[in-house]
Amino acid sequence: MDTYILSIESSCDETSMAIVKNGCIDIATVVLSQMNTHANYGGVVPEIASRMHVESITIVLEELLTKAGMTIDKIDAIAVTYGPGLIGSLLIGLTAAKTLAYIYKKPLVPVHHIAGHIYANNLNKKMEFPLIALVVSGGHTELVYMKEHYSFKKIGGTLDDAVGEAYDKVARVLDLSYPGGPVIDNLASTGTDQYDLPIPLNDHSFNFSFSGLKSAVINLKHNEEQRGNMVNKNNLATSFQNRVIEILSKKTMNALKEYQVNNLIIAGGVSANKGLRNKMDKLCEENNINLSYPDFKYCTDNATMIGAAGYYAYKLGRRADLNLKAEATCNLE
Amino acid sequence: MISLFLDTSSVTYTIALIKNDNIIYEKNGESYNRLSDIILSEIDSALKNANLSIQDIDRLYVVNGPGSFTGIRIGLTFAKIVAYALKKELVLLSKLEMLATIENSQEIIVPLIDARRGYVYGAIYDKNGNNLLKDQYIYLDELYDLCKKYDDVVYVSEENIEKLSTIRPKFDIIRLIKRHNEVVSNVHTCKPNYLKKTEAEEKNDKRN
Repeated sequence: MDTYILSIESSCDETSMAIVKNGCIDIATVVLSQMNTHANYGGVVPEIASRMHVESITIVLEELLTKAGMTIDKIDAIAVTYGPGLIGSLLIGLTAAKTLAYIYKKPLVPVHHIAGHIYANNLNKKMEFPLIALVVSGGHTELVYMKEHYSFKKIGGTLDDAVGEAYDKVARVLDLSYPGGPVIDNLASTGTDQYDLPIPLNDHSFNFSFSGLKSAVINLKHNEEQRGNMVNKNNLATSFQNRVIEILSKKTMNALKEYQVNNLIIAGGVSANKGLRNKMDKLCEENNINLSYPDFKYCTDNATMIGAAGYYAYKLGRRADLNLKAEATCNLE
Repeated sequence: MISLFLDTSSVTYTIALIKNDNIIYEKNGESYNRLSDIILSEIDSALKNANLSIQDIDRLYVVNGPGSFTGIRIGLTFAKIVAYALKKELVLLSKLEMLATIENSQEIIVPLIDARRGYVYGAIYDKNGNNLLKDQYIYLDELYDLCKKYDDVVYVSEENIEKLSTIRPKFDIIRLIKRHNEVVSNVHTCKPNYLKKTEAEEKNDKRN
């Protein structure tokens, strides 16, 4: 029998709802992005994000139901991102999910945001196990080992800035637009690796650190300007991106080796980065690794991925009651 | 007609059920910063207590501000979803008017909510609920000056307001909701009434 999950995601600056069938088929998805608003401020302003979520919540729901041609009584469960994320933003999606679960007497399934990003990969083709997942976005940089469905072991993560956050900050220093990822990625495709930047946290752990690299970019630009030189933005973007990709790919390949895994998935907003994709494609081909990315539309935050993860959580009997808490930070388990 | 009244705009929340102008359930509780965790369960126990289900409610009265930004968003999100999904009537209420709707009052009532740094959310109402100064984010001293022309003034607040003697409110929910029949025509566009821009927006305004 088919299982339909209505899912809600509001952990940052996207108000999104989806209906997903059997954890893999996108019946309908609505994503209302606030990116253009936050671009005026050079980054997501939490209070503005919360305000916009409450304004769009029923609009997104109506559009979803119209698109899907379904009514909520046909849904098996409501899945919702409870964390991690911006607390004020999470609370809107969470309150909406609880209210729907309550009035339609449906089970409420809590989903961790990172689990969602990983399960975005179940929407194209079925995930194969065991696998290593590299989750890279504006809020997250994590390496996760999965032995089977819905079993998560975090083996490493960032000690400071998330990789996407480092892109945004470097973009700001170089007077580039927000979000920084796509802009730097484009510049990097035309520049040469001219600048001497460090490879951050180049050790044998599976952890990452990007604040030092970011500071190195800031200092380098500052020093050049003191000497009366202009930095070449294309080349600096290239040097920065090369270091980022080098360390991400190195630690990911190390993780695959150590855990003796040959399935890799890359998820999160930064998985749309062309430089990262080219490098990982090449390395995975050389090492016979089965590599998967989400479709571009499932790379950034969306509820479809929460519905995909929510299906497996639902099948495992994971349930929350009406007292489910929003968590700004929480572990993936 | 059965109505659900909900105020989640401050540290104390109020849930009430009203049947034909009579309160059949009322709870004023402390949320201890856990409003989101408890509010659905509290609404559920209110309804169970009155042997009702959410489907039995005809109209929702919801306080949409001013007050705790997070608090009003939680209450309004609940109300918008219920009103949209179950096609219920929704009426939005002012927290300041609610504070001003007290029994046996003086002529002039000035409800206040502390907004920090010398500011308050405040307004001026007369004892019949007429709004003499609209709800606003205002410097307390300025509001105080505006009240000087009235003889018989009482300041009402749920919290202590510096430099001012206030009384605690005792809400008259029936009197408040009887004044309000403005059912919102479009649930989608309902928003909280913050009365204040975000700091980021204020900074941006200054720059431009």
